[in-house]
Amino acid sequence: MTNATAQLSPSRSPMEMAIDRVWRYFCSVRAAIAEIAFLALLVLIGTLRGSSVPESLANGVPFLRPLVDRWYAWDVFRSPVFAAVLALLAIAIAVCTVNRVPGIWQTINHPRIRTSHGYLNGADTSATFNTNSTTDELAGSYEATLREKRFRVLTERIGTDTHVYADKNRYARMGTFPFHLALILLLVGGIVGAQYGFREREFILPVGDTRAVGHGTDLSIELVRFQDSYTPLGTAEEFESEIIIYDGGEQVRRETISPNDPVSYRTATVYQTSLGHGSNMRVTDDTGVELYNGTVDVGLFNFAGNPDSPAGYVEIPAAGVTMTVVAPDIEPFNAPELDTLQLKNGQMYVMLQPLAGSDAGPQEFVIDQGQSIPAGGLTVSFDREVQWSLLQVAYNPGIPIFAIASFLLIGGLAVTFYFPLRRIRAVIAPGPQGATLTAVPLAKRDWSGKREFFQTVAALESGLGVTPRVKKPAGSEDWEHVPATPSAPSSTG
Amino acid sequence: METLVKLSFYCFAASSVSLAASAVSYIAFSVGRVRVRQATMATSTGSTVTTSRAEYFPGPAVAGRFGSMLAGFGAFFALLAVLFRGIAAERVPLSNMFEFSLTFTLAISVMYLIFERAYGTRQLGAIVVSIAFLMTVYIWMLPTNLREVDPLIPALQARPIMTAHVSSAIFAYATFAVSFAAGALFLVRKKWNARWLPSLEMLDDIGFRAVTIGFPLLSLVLILGSIWAHDAWGVYWSWDPKETSALFTWLVYAVYLHTRTLRGWRGSRSAWILMFGFAAVLFTYYGNYFFGGLHAYGGVN
Ligand code: HEM
Repeated sequence: MTNATAQLSPSRSPMEMAIDRVWRYFCSVRAAIAEIAFLALLVLIGTLRGSSVPESLANGVPFLRPLVDRWYAWDVFRSPVFAAVLALLAIAIAVCTVNRVPGIWQTINHPRIRTSHGYLNGADTSATFNTNSTTDELAGSYEATLREKRFRVLTERIGTDTHVYADKNRYARMGTFPFHLALILLLVGGIVGAQYGFREREFILPVGDTRAVGHGTDLSIELVRFQDSYTPLGTAEEFESEIIIYDGGEQVRRETISPNDPVSYRTATVYQTSLGHGSNMRVTDDTGVELYNGTVDVGLFNFAGNPDSPAGYVEIPAAGVTMTVVAPDIEPFNAPELDTLQLKNGQMYVMLQPLAGSDAGPQEFVIDQGQSIPAGGLTVSFDREVQWSLLQVAYNPGIPIFAIASFLLIGGLAVTFYFPLRRIRAVIAPGPQGATLTAVPLAKRDWSGKREFFQTVAALESGLGVTPRVKKPAGSEDWEHVPATPSAPSSTG
Repeated sequence: METLVKLSFYCFAASSVSLAASAVSYIAFSVGRVRVRQATMATSTGSTVTTSRAEYFPGPAVAGRFGSMLAGFGAFFALLAVLFRGIAAERVPLSNMFEFSLTFTLAISVMYLIFERAYGTRQLGAIVVSIAFLMTVYIWMLPTNLREVDPLIPALQARPIMTAHVSSAIFAYATFAVSFAAGALFLVRKKWNARWLPSLEMLDDIGFRAVTIGFPLLSLVLILGSIWAHDAWGVYWSWDPKETSALFTWLVYAVYLHTRTLRGWRGSRSAWILMFGFAAVLFTYYGNYFFGGLHAYGGVN
């Protein structure tokens, strides 16, 4: 990369020199390659960590065992080194962009039109037409041919010579900037997502209930309906929830979700992950004052006395107890001998344990749906069973940044790769019989660029009816058998 | 449906035979011919000196043309195999290693033929079509139960994003195979001065052009993959080995694209990076054999 900043003058302070050095380091493609290669190495180390490769390495070469153990212990992708390399690359891209934009902008809009004869004669690829037309006529035909091939043509007359600079897809030169900036944006999106986003792993919602998402959002979710179907063995086969999302109390989405089919609102996404049952329980004191009225979710816990039964518990400080609720074990393939409670459908086992500080013993009983049972100064009622849905809410404010970055990334690459810059320099000068045109592609080590150059030369050849003298680099014989070249110009040197 | 699945398999068999024959023809064409010329000269002392000079020629053009024709058959039958299976399964057949590799065989032979036409050179076929053929050998060796059409596991249920994600991967890998072949021929031509092969400049260009198709496709693979992961698992990126090995491959090709702007690296060193990049592709492709994690499905793990 050419460096636009490095104009060292002897009067610079050491500070300036140091800054200049750092700047030039970041501008260097060589350094960028080293950084990308190092990042690749880290990614490889991290990737292999998730595989059996290090293990088999240690099995084969025992003295590598300690190294392999450290390898497995090192979480590369969350290590400071990894973050540092990413940061370094981001800075390099930013610096490199700032450094290159002005120069490239200049060559796009104000390219140098003049070409020296020395440059023309020294080029390894060129085409020379000796015609008996005037310089103006030849310039006219040349320009027409170029324009037909969608080149921009800039001319300048210097003495008797006409200098012609032609280019194509010049703005595509800028494609690498959005692409490289997209890489920075991806990092920014990741940081924003990690910093301000959250992922609620367990978000239980009984049918008919509305719960706030929290985490600083104004969102709440209501479960309207839940439906599940079971295989003959009793495991859930399919389930879906109809939910409503509220933002600031206002309904913004009403949709049915199922595993793999989440609903998104802005940068929040709600997933259906699991399902379960709950019991609507009420606890009142002697005087009839309600101390608890809500759903105890069963299924997230297991009751020690009956390991297969779905259980749940709730602390009721007003009543001074923890209430554990156990539902019947309906899984037919569970071991029946472990089911010591032998609950029937519609029954619940309830245990009230005093909160810490009291020395009263626990109270246990089985309760039917619709029943109220007095227990130690409290009355426990079991109103009905409900189903609940286990939802997961992901909230990622980095999403819009990712979306923009993705478009810039793919778009920038497409522009850079599929609209390559093509440039041809030429000088038209008075020649032996009339005018001579010598054209040179700016396509050093660019086979496709040269091929396109020769296609242009072939078009000019058929327009002028003059066979050019063509110079090609050694070892480029394969232009001849390229079918896309209509009539490949032959060397008549 | 049974019939279609069977028909698809027969087409695959025809494709693998055609590709085998095509690879052999291309190899015969690309190895070239050597003719040793002997010249006997009389010296001033009256004795004679015999010098021999090896001359190299391109291989028999018939073999090359035959290779192209057979590769065309191979691609055609692979296309039929994919189509029939797609109709039978009512989705794009990409769900297990069998289907993925079958579609990959199609992609690689089509991609190769596109490059052959664009550059008017047949020698790459010796490598690319051989890779396509080896792919069919791999398919033959897969557990036979994968040949049946199964319903998908829920996380994979046909979704447009998933189809786009996997097809991009297939086409990216196919173009990387072409760039691998170009890099390999570049090194061969350079090392042994194999003049009957395409010029170094052309081979370098083919390698680069293939990467300019493969790299954006691989970028798309990563982007679509993360969108899909978000829908299925709730996270965009979980540093799963299958994800990171694709990222690794992507970075290797990023290094390649940068080295090409450095004068001293264009040429052999860039060609070596293409070799390395393709090794990374294979590692990602067969990663299921080494990795656990979220991507360990598709019939082999
Ligand atoms: C992970 C990080 C990076 C990736 C994936 C990446 C990717 C790419 C790609 C794909 C190209 C090819 C474009 C072309 O051929 O024209 C490219 C070109 C380039 N990159 Fe990067 N790059 C990265 C970092 C950097 C950094 C840090 C710098 C600055 C020092 C840089 C400077 C350049 C330059 C100067 C070009 C040539 C552009 C041109 O020819 O117009 N890149 N990069």
